[in-house]
Amino acid sequence: MKGSKILLVDDEVVFTNNMSKLLTNRGYRVTAVNSGDAAIRVLDEEDFDVVVLDLKMPGMDGITTLKEIKKLGLFTETLVLTGHGSIDTALEATKLGAYDYLTKPCEIDELVEKIEGAWGKKDDTEKKDIQEKIQKVVESPKAAFSLFKRKKGK
Amino acid sequence: MGINGSVYKKNEGAQGKVYYSRLYRRLILLTLLCSVVPLLLVGWAINIHYTRFAKSKMMNSFRTQVDYHQRMIELFLKERSSGLQLIACTHSKGYLAEASNLAYVFEIMKQEYGSITDLGVIDGDGRHLAYIGPYDLMDKNYSGAFWFREVMKKGIYISDMFMGFRKVPHFIIAVTRAERGEKWILRATIDTQAFRSLVENVRIGKTGEVYLLNSQGIFQTSPRFSGNIMEKSPFPIETVHEGTKICLLEAGPKDSEQDFPRQIVAQSWLKEPRWLLVVKQNYSEAFNEVNRANYAILIFLHLSALTILIASIFITGHLIKVIKRRDAEAEQLNKQLLQAGKLASVGELSAGVAHEINNPLAIILTERQILLDLAEQTTTMDADFKKELVASLSQIDVQVQRCKRITQNLLRFSRRTTSVIEAVDLNEFIEEVVELMEREARTSGIKFIPDLEEGLPPLLTDPSQLQQVFLNLITNAIDAHDGRSYGSIRISTRSKDKSEGVMVVFADTGSGISLENLEKIFDPFFTTKPVGKGTGLGLSICYSIIRRLGGDISVQSEPGKGTEFTFFLPYSPPSDLQESINEVLEV
Repeated sequence: MKGSKILLVDDEVVFTNNMSKLLTNRGYRVTAVNSGDAAIRVLDEEDFDVVVLDLKMPGMDGITTLKEIKKLGLFTETLVLTGHGSIDTALEATKLGAYDYLTKPCEIDELVEKIEGAWGKKDDTEKKDIQEKIQKVVESPKAAFSLFKRKKGK
Repeated sequence: MGINGSVYKKNEGAQGKVYYSRLYRRLILLTLLCSVVPLLLVGWAINIHYTRFAKSKMMNSFRTQVDYHQRMIELFLKERSSGLQLIACTHSKGYLAEASNLAYVFEIMKQEYGSITDLGVIDGDGRHLAYIGPYDLMDKNYSGAFWFREVMKKGIYISDMFMGFRKVPHFIIAVTRAERGEKWILRATIDTQAFRSLVENVRIGKTGEVYLLNSQGIFQTSPRFSGNIMEKSPFPIETVHEGTKICLLEAGPKDSEQDFPRQIVAQSWLKEPRWLLVVKQNYSEAFNEVNRANYAILIFLHLSALTILIASIFITGHLIKVIKRRDAEAEQLNKQLLQAGKLASVGELSAGVAHEINNPLAIILTERQILLDLAEQTTTMDADFKKELVASLSQIDVQVQRCKRITQNLLRFSRRTTSVIEAVDLNEFIEEVVELMEREARTSGIKFIPDLEEGLPPLLTDPSQLQQVFLNLITNAIDAHDGRSYGSIRISTRSKDKSEGVMVVFADTGSGISLENLEKIFDPFFTTKPVGKGTGLGLSICYSIIRRLGGDISVQSEPGKGTEFTFFLPYSPPSDLQESINEVLEV
């Protein structure tokens, strides 16, 4: 969906720059970072719809980053980008909860398609979550309080 | 490179031959050293020892014989001389001088002792007082005779053989008796025939002889071969010695009077008279038995050695054959290991390279996309320029896709691809693949000849990887028919229950592969296709896939006739593959 917030994580600065441009052209709001640490930092401060994550990075690699992201307990979906050499890792990533994987080099249309899919899923889970919360609040208004509290504590 | 490689191989082969023949020689030498040499040493030692033992035994028996004969002769002479002495001492000169009395005594002596020819009584002046015998000797005077002087001096005398007045060889025994200060002599002539037969009739083998010599070396009896009685012995006479002396008489010079073979000679001096008893036998005859036994031993020994030699040659030959086969197997295994190692390291490298190349490729694609986006957004662009730009950009895309294919191939070749295992009906599978390729093959004039065994059990394997193998092989086979108007590809399957799998033979009638290339066809990046046409990865991918699926592939080719790939696929894949499969299936 246009206007979705995308976080690009890849150590190749040229790649993230280009991708940012291309995705911005296609109506997304893109933030690009060049390491796993930076990604976690940014995610901690800001909400994103989809994270596009390169698996092979110096420092914190893709898999570790993915685990960290999952720890944050966000609704954000993660799309894994990988070279062909690490399909096994890509499969591992999907096991860890990544939405899907893409092999580099990939066509922009392909990426957009997957981003849309990921956004759709994120949207669904978010909606479902909200419905559940509403349900809870309807069932017991006290729950709203605890909900609010948890939000504060984050 | 290829030529160098093959030359090197040939050298290695020649060196191998040298190595095996050296090993062969060494083994034989070692066997012989450890068996034949000790055998011969022991055999020879036993032989020498036995010969020595047998010879000394032989010598002893010779010595015993000589002693025996000596005693016989001495006894004979002693008997007669004692008899004479007894008569001389018990009868007076007066009594014996009577011819009738002497005749009586003579008769008794003849009866008792025998071999007495005549008997005479001689007075101190050498005249016969009485004589009984076949000759007329009454008026003979012996005062000048040598024996007369000797007997007068010693009291008893046994003469050498002499011709005397009778002109026949004879010898006498004479004894003296002193009666009232007057000496007289009783003298007997011994029947030489009887005496001689005592010595001459002794037979020792075919070549043995026994004879007597006096101290001057005159024959006292006729030897069987060396001469006649009263003749001078051709051999120098020994000085007087005690006991029996045994020696070897070396063969005389050829074509001379003394031409005789090597002889063994025993000599012993009689006490009275001083005669030399000689016993002779040809050495060869005396030691015939020993020599024969020796020959038998030596023949047996050498036959045994020969047997061992032949056996060791055969055994070593067999051993070398076994070693050769083992070596060949080891070499084959080594080659396979090397190939696997090569593939593994190249696989590692390829995976790394492919991955690294993918990143820049991804960037190129994004750059292209940016340009494409820009071109679409701009309205002021010249239409021709835009067309040209879009064409270039699509060309970039084509080339990036090509690069992507190459990296995909590289990665497929490396181990990092995952397998999906399914039950596959191999025959059906082959038919599908053939169908897929049939059109391309038909345009090259190539016919498929499936030769599939009915009722094969299904294989548990990765169909996509297997398809890759078949496609690669078919593509290669079609390419091998380049420049030919027709050909065929025969694909046969045979179940191998023993090894629990299927043998697939893939034979084409293409141009074949030369020997030096045959060794390298599974090497990654080895290709005979022109640059840009082949990556040189097709067969290495086949190789690594089949190995990964737990099979084995080999190739045979005859240049100009065709190539035959034979590979084995197990009914179920190796356990490590299955584990990775399970892992994948869990996802």
